[in-house]
Amino acid sequence: MDQIIRINNLTKKYRRYRKKEGLAGSIASLWKREYEEKTAVDHMDLSVAEGELIGLIGPNGAGKTTLVKMLTGIIAPTEGSIEVLGYYPNDLKNEFKKQYAVVMGQKSQLFFELTVNDTLRLFKEIYEIPEEKFQADKNYFAELFGVRELLDVQVRTLSLGERMKMELMVSLIHDPRILFLDEPTIGLDAVAARQIRRFLKEVNEQKGTTIVLTSHYMEDIKALCKRTVVVNHGVKIYDGLTDELFDRYQKNKKLIATFADPVGELTLAVPGAVLLENGPYKKVYEVPKQSARELLAGLMEYEPKDIVVEEEEIGAVVERVYQEGSDGFAQIS
Amino acid sequence: MKTQLVWRADVAFNMIFTVTKILFACLLWGMVFQNRETVGQFTFHGMLSYYIVSSFLSQLDMSEGISREIHDKIRNGTFSKYMVIPVGIEKYFMAMELGVLSFYVFFDFAAAVVWVFVFRIRFVFAAHPGTVLCAAAMAVLGLVFMVQLNYFLGLLTLKYQGMNTFLMIKNNLAALVTGSILPLALFPETVVRLLRLLPFYYVTYLPAMLFTGKCGDEAVGGLLVLGGWMLFMQFLIGAVWKKYRVKYEGVGI
Repeated sequence: MDQIIRINNLTKKYRRYRKKEGLAGSIASLWKREYEEKTAVDHMDLSVAEGELIGLIGPNGAGKTTLVKMLTGIIAPTEGSIEVLGYYPNDLKNEFKKQYAVVMGQKSQLFFELTVNDTLRLFKEIYEIPEEKFQADKNYFAELFGVRELLDVQVRTLSLGERMKMELMVSLIHDPRILFLDEPTIGLDAVAARQIRRFLKEVNEQKGTTIVLTSHYMEDIKALCKRTVVVNHGVKIYDGLTDELFDRYQKNKKLIATFADPVGELTLAVPGAVLLENGPYKKVYEVPKQSARELLAGLMEYEPKDIVVEEEEIGAVVERVYQEGSDGFAQIS
Repeated sequence: MKTQLVWRADVAFNMIFTVTKILFACLLWGMVFQNRETVGQFTFHGMLSYYIVSSFLSQLDMSEGISREIHDKIRNGTFSKYMVIPVGIEKYFMAMELGVLSFYVFFDFAAAVVWVFVFRIRFVFAAHPGTVLCAAAMAVLGLVFMVQLNYFLGLLTLKYQGMNTFLMIKNNLAALVTGSILPLALFPETVVRLLRLLPFYYVTYLPAMLFTGKCGDEAVGGLLVLGGWMLFMQFLIGAVWKKYRVKYEGVGI
């Protein structure tokens, strides 16, 4: 398959200003400003083939957003080479921009005063989409996202979940070859996040859109991406199959049991299980993956009202990958 | 009706505020003209006609919002919104200004006509169609120039980070040197000669003078000077964008 993203030795350093606390620090900074350099992306190599749905994970501040900003041309790299669809992104050529779309969970691409229909029409004009294709795609996405009844309301009146669906709809209306998604499920409830994941999977499979997805939610990556890149402190520390990443580095699961009536101490002899929270109505356990079934069976004997099984948070996985070093993982190139 | 007025309150206020300048001009110049027939080259009604036109033109220039919007979006990291869509960012703001203006022009024009009748002004209008045409062209070019200027100043945020104070000073200076506070003809000749070299002279003042039948001999030359400034501004915009675009970092890592 064609590699449509190629980056080599890519580095981005930010220069940031440091100021001592308080008024005295502010006044002193008028004469003498101190700066420090922060390396957000550090000599990174990466290539992505057309049609891939690749996950980019890492804790906050790992450099994921900076990487997406460089891939879309929003910011210029400090060093290294970068090529997306054959273009140097920061040249900001319109021919390049017509071929990708970007959705940032924390920054809207929409025009808040316009209705969704008017926003779509604006983008139709910007991307020069023929009317027939525009109508067909608009209907397709309105059905897929279940938002037909929201097309005539102002964007500013939408809920976060609804707005995110509209962000995706607007970004996909011109049939981009690459869709960059930066934390698309941030702040969404479980139902909305699940819907978004389903849409993305369908778009990738049906339209062949290459998707680069950054997230710090394990569920996003696990549900969608065959390949995952783990980034920490701007350095790529894993690039390989998602299944292998989780098999190898995700050691524990979290089980949250809630009860209708108060319960006292539970006598559960499950190897490796650690009780994290011990309330009368709620018990939270962390347990090795292989013992999760046993713990679950034990908890069921106490007739809980509900049990939720959560994936281990990203920080722990990254830490383990980092500790083990980069040797021995499956590289895709 | 009530809902519509709430939604369109800004339009209503914009119409009403055209009166403040005219009212001010009526009171001030009424007193000045009590003991004399003319001031500079203006009669009382010529002066009020000037204020009606210059007030209408300056009300149409809403480009100040462009520099503020660009400034704020660069500061809070949302300028990227314009960088990822395949449109010229300047053209986008130009189109936005045109959209806003085409909505307001009708209401502001209606307001200006109403004030002419309310204040019983014997409106003085240019007799020569060529002069009117030149004035109209200059007014349009003047609005385009102000969009260019504000776009350029907004872009400077890429370099200077904070531009709010500068933008405030610029707005006050522009109000003075475009002649929307006082007709520039009342300034000393040396100052006027200097102002003729600057583009602001041709944004509000000269078109207003041409519309009211004065300074006809400056019409063609004015268009050329303004055109020259527009070319220069476009060059500056290109150079600043090329040089400072790479400094944009947004917010967060």
